[in-house]
Amino acid sequence: MAMVEKARDDRVSWRDAEPKHVAAQGGRGKAMARLIPVAVPAMLLVAALVLPAFMFTGDRRPDVPGLGPAAWPNMVLLLLGVFSAIWLAIEVWGLVKWRVSTSLSAPHDENVYHYGKALVGIGLVIAFGWLLPYVGFAVACAGFLLIWCLYGGIRNPFVLVLVPTLGTVALLWMFMGLALMPLSRGVGIFDQFSVALLQLLGIY
Amino acid sequence: MTYRRKHGGTDRLGRDGQRAGLSAASDRDGRDLWSRRRRGPDGPADGPVDGKAAWRLDPDLERGGRIRECRPDPAQTDAPDGYTIGTLISLTVASWASGLGDSNIDDFEVLAVVQNSPSFLFVPASSPYQTAEDLFAYAKENPGELTVATSGYGTQDDVTLKLLAKDGVQMENVPFQSPGERYASPIGGHTAVLYEEPGDVAQFLKAEQLKPLVVFSEERHPAFPDVPTSTELGYEISGLDNFRTVAVRAGTDPAIVEKLQSAVEESVASEEWQKFCAETYSCIEPVTGEDAQKMVQDFLQLITDQLAS
Amino acid sequence: MQTIDLLFAGFASAFQIGAFLTVVVGLLVGVIAGALPGISFVNAMAMALPFTYAMNVTHAMLFLGGIYVGGVFGGSISAIMINVPGTPASLPATWDGYAMTKKGQVKRALTIAVTASAVGGLASALMLTFLSAPFAKFAMKFSQPEFFAATVLGLVSVIAIAKDKPIITMISLLSGMAIGTVGVDPLYGQARFSFGIPEVESGIRFVVVMIGLFAIGEVVDLVATDRDLRPKKADGKMAGASFRDIWNVKGAIARGTGLGCMIGVIPGAGATPGAVIAYGVEKQINPRGKEFGTGVEAGLAAPEAAKNATTGAAMVPLLTLGIPGSAATAIMLAAMMLQGVNPGPLLFIMDPSMVYTIFAAMIIANVLMIGAGVGVAQMFSTLMRTPPAILAGFIVILSLIGAYGVRNNIFDVHVCLIFGVIGWAMKRVGFPSAPLVLGVILGPLAERYFLTAVANSRQDYTVFFTRPISATILFLALIFVLWSLWPSVRSRIKRQPA
Repeated sequence: MAMVEKARDDRVSWRDAEPKHVAAQGGRGKAMARLIPVAVPAMLLVAALVLPAFMFTGDRRPDVPGLGPAAWPNMVLLLLGVFSAIWLAIEVWGLVKWRVSTSLSAPHDENVYHYGKALVGIGLVIAFGWLLPYVGFAVACAGFLLIWCLYGGIRNPFVLVLVPTLGTVALLWMFMGLALMPLSRGVGIFDQFSVALLQLLGIY
Repeated sequence: MTYRRKHGGTDRLGRDGQRAGLSAASDRDGRDLWSRRRRGPDGPADGPVDGKAAWRLDPDLERGGRIRECRPDPAQTDAPDGYTIGTLISLTVASWASGLGDSNIDDFEVLAVVQNSPSFLFVPASSPYQTAEDLFAYAKENPGELTVATSGYGTQDDVTLKLLAKDGVQMENVPFQSPGERYASPIGGHTAVLYEEPGDVAQFLKAEQLKPLVVFSEERHPAFPDVPTSTELGYEISGLDNFRTVAVRAGTDPAIVEKLQSAVEESVASEEWQKFCAETYSCIEPVTGEDAQKMVQDFLQLITDQLAS
Repeated sequence: MQTIDLLFAGFASAFQIGAFLTVVVGLLVGVIAGALPGISFVNAMAMALPFTYAMNVTHAMLFLGGIYVGGVFGGSISAIMINVPGTPASLPATWDGYAMTKKGQVKRALTIAVTASAVGGLASALMLTFLSAPFAKFAMKFSQPEFFAATVLGLVSVIAIAKDKPIITMISLLSGMAIGTVGVDPLYGQARFSFGIPEVESGIRFVVVMIGLFAIGEVVDLVATDRDLRPKKADGKMAGASFRDIWNVKGAIARGTGLGCMIGVIPGAGATPGAVIAYGVEKQINPRGKEFGTGVEAGLAAPEAAKNATTGAAMVPLLTLGIPGSAATAIMLAAMMLQGVNPGPLLFIMDPSMVYTIFAAMIIANVLMIGAGVGVAQMFSTLMRTPPAILAGFIVILSLIGAYGVRNNIFDVHVCLIFGVIGWAMKRVGFPSAPLVLGVILGPLAERYFLTAVANSRQDYTVFFTRPISATILFLALIFVLWSLWPSVRSRIKRQPA
């Protein structure tokens, strides 16, 4: 009997395990939530079936001895397709029978999850990575640290000034000074600024 | 050797680069100049050519092995400003001839050919075949039975085996991506023969774990005067040597090319380099300028012709 | 007896002030580099290589050996503290180590990890000293079929990690293996799935994938959940682990050490498969195996011991045969070659004092790590007092620098960001990311071992089953899968009536 109870607990859908404010986002959210465990294996199945056709681009394929370069990826994709199909079947069966996902379950350990904050955070990280080659490491790093601190709720002006400046200088010294990594200096005026800064810091 | 930076400062990288065999690693305006390659260095003989930069920039040595890809990408895709230099080696050029990749020699400007060595066939000390004649005779009688550890398909290793097969000596090509595994394989008795240049297996030769049977060359190697050449044995296989060059992307400013070339020449003249190349049996007078470009082009043509034949 | 004499002479050399300081500095550099996400100890060793030119060969090896020993442990610091493995081998440390951190037991987790690592490393160094010759002979029996079988064992051990999700775990693993096929193939030199993009031809590096999946998602979660990772005093576990705590996991440490020594000696295997297999085995053997993943000490100790036990073992084929079995030992080989020293059997005859100084230094480095354990735990747990926003900001920057540093290419930063988003989404829906990372790491290894083995046997696929060692390892892998799956199958069978 205890085992049955345990089994029921295990069958919690990832949707059910979500924080309350997410679960309460309305009908569309519920539908989306129910669709994800079906959509993921379906997408993987399609990818496993389609990708072998796109394995080689442009390269001539001379007659090769042995198994050839396609053998291993084909085997991996075949297995991926098989397991995705099994997962899809289990998901569809679970949805029909219990109307819940039987496989995916979100982390249980968080009472609060600020999705908005998370998405902004991801946006900031992407912006940092994307701007890095244009504005250079020094500017991107200082700017990112400042905005990230503000985003993280830090309002102390002392901290807001010291963390980006000292942090950037320390990182520049560690990676460009000691480790000799050619981190991006940016383009145009940012390049000139980076060079001037690196000279000022004694790295160049 | 000290390089002056446009914006001042001392040249730390120049010193390190020189130690690594590449004193050319200066910069013109403060940015570091790097030698880069996709994969980690291959055998010991590769180390100094790659310099510290190759080691540093590619921590993924575990999966590395011989640079046998068709596109030493940074030297090809980075701006032709002299900041990025690459090592273009014979194996890569041979793979172009085999139809791999879409690069060609015109994508690169070869600064200098700094090392060259012919390849040998080695067998473990305990091998039943103690002479090339014995080995080839057995291979002729038992086609495909003997296995040869090589660096891959489409390389000059592969071409050599194909040329031998054309003359009736048919041995199975067993490619090993990792050089360590390649060398261990014949010593451990897992493959019968090893195709390699002597510099990469110097320690095994000194320990008498491997024995050279034949050198693929028209002339005997001065360090191995007792080892017969393929020509002597009646197999016209030569010119498929292992060279290493330092190259930049085509279209690099001639003034930069000149500066880099002279820096490479100075490095190669150093005592450290001479000691290293002697230990790895790969010393040559550095070939620079148009001659270097032509040497690589001729090699490409030779492999292409031999494959076509 | 001669070994003991030589070892004492080695200790005498290693305890000279210059040599000793070299080991200590190397150890510290390794621990710090290993702890920084993305800046693995292999990077640190590669960066240190030019500095070794100024040293004599013994000091060069002591320095690199110190970084190696410290770095292999260091990777677990960030794994335990912020759920971001500093090196791939520290992946298992995220499973129970980070769970302990979430319970407020960060110092305790760090102390157990450093002690287990040091014990594993020490045993391995002793094995290197006294059993090099037989282990080198053992290593030479391994060829591509055995390497493939050992990699398969590493791959299937993720099934043991999966709780009740074997199918999803397999899908995650296979997705990683599929990602690992991107780029130029290992034998034929042909680019796969490059879609005509030159940078993609160079492949997708596992370090970049790992940083993206773990670091970015974790950082975002750190801020989005108001998570408090500071050590808690209330639960009485604020202090590091006591001797009794360590004694309680002695079995796990012993098993991890044994497995690490065995796996490490195989050229090409290394710390990651060693740690993962040790975790999988411990999960099955340990009475608290079912609780693994919730912050069980043994689940942290076993893989920690195993991964450091591979350090000395990996040097066996390097020093005795001149064959580097891993990236770290390849750098050591380069350092020796550049100093004009050829590792191999002759080294023991030509320069035994140097060899035994290296042995002594490896032993000293591991002993020092035990001593430094409390200090390291204290220092790094202090870092946890940093406000999460600041901590998270620096993790992002270090992670992206780590991704960039793999090839000094902005392409890798972009790949890292893409995997960051994927990793965050996977975490939100409960799709396991660790098997994917292992797939990216071990998949390409499995491929080249498989293809070379088949080529060497002239396309005979039975070679994996006809060679005794390979067949035994594959049989063990099969038993391991069945053993791991049985609880899940049993619960499903029992669930049916409901």
